[in-house]
Amino acid sequence: MSLDKMLQKISVRSPWLFRINAGSCNGCDVELATTACIPRYDVERFGCKYCGSPRHTDVVLITGPLTTKVRDRVLRVWHEIPNPKVTVAVGVCSISGGVFRGGYSIEGPIDRYIPVDVNVPGCPPRPQAILEGIVLARSIWLKKLGLEE
Amino acid sequence: MASFLKVLFRNLLDGPSTDPYPMGPTFSPQRIRGRAKVDPNLCMGCGMCRYSCTAGAINIAHLPDGSGYTITIWQNSCCRCASCRHYCPTGAMSVTDDWHSAHAEKDKFNRLEQQTIKYEPCADCGTLMRPLPAHLAQRLYAGNKEIDQEKIRHICPKCRRIEDAKRTARRLLTPAPEPMEAAELTSAASTRY
Repeated sequence: MSLDKMLQKISVRSPWLFRINAGSCNGCDVELATTACIPRYDVERFGCKYCGSPRHTDVVLITGPLTTKVRDRVLRVWHEIPNPKVTVAVGVCSISGGVFRGGYSIEGPIDRYIPVDVNVPGCPPRPQAILEGIVLARSIWLKKLGLEE
Repeated sequence: MASFLKVLFRNLLDGPSTDPYPMGPTFSPQRIRGRAKVDPNLCMGCGMCRYSCTAGAINIAHLPDGSGYTITIWQNSCCRCASCRHYCPTGAMSVTDDWHSAHAEKDKFNRLEQQTIKYEPCADCGTLMRPLPAHLAQRLYAGNKEIDQEKIRHICPKCRRIEDAKRTARRLLTPAPEPMEAAELTSAASTRY
């Protein structure tokens, strides 16, 4: 194994999270804040940390059904995230449109525009379900980096 | 000072408040709403769940040969409001406590609750229909002893109407068991007829 690969293998452990609200009702965002801020759910155990800039992001969590108003902005922010990135759709709205499906201002679901890797349905999902999704996203991310089979 | 020590010792004894999940077990509140489920023995295919479903997650498709129907719940659209459970007249819909919902994108359209339910022929005329669930028949016909519940739940609405007409005719044709008293008869004759 090359030194480069070995360094990568021992250094890369912490996927940073980024949250995009694509027209969500804020329910899923509250649950995402819960996973980060309440000690009971503590997402930082997995080395995950919410960051403020899309350029530092490894795992992006998208909530909401992708409304017409935010579509271009979401796409712009999403394209700013460096590869390899893992996209997690949180809540039924971003996965299928949920209760907003068929609305006049709904462009979603998200996977019409963005390749999604992990889905976490729920309205909103439990914090534990979000943790499950983040762990799944982390393993997909490590696979994309070539560090895990 | 003393109160601080109390908090310190309590924290040392209780350990971390972090839930070990997903590395360890976690708790589920008793009334948590997870996956929706349909009981194929109770479902009558009335479509109330489809009508009341907020997220449009339920579909009822009739089989092309008319021998039954398929009820499908797409868990990725279900918003766990439990309207289906609330409005289901037979109690066929239920909401389980299974909240483990995270999955990879390739399983997106596999998370279905799907039941294909066949019609049964009516015991009298042979028309295809769904039998009435036993507990519903018991509640509906509890006050009427002459009705055989097991028979009536297996016959179609049309034959049920015929059965009802037959019962009424029997009741009208049989004479009243107790004779009326003379005084009552005379007063009845003067006022009623």
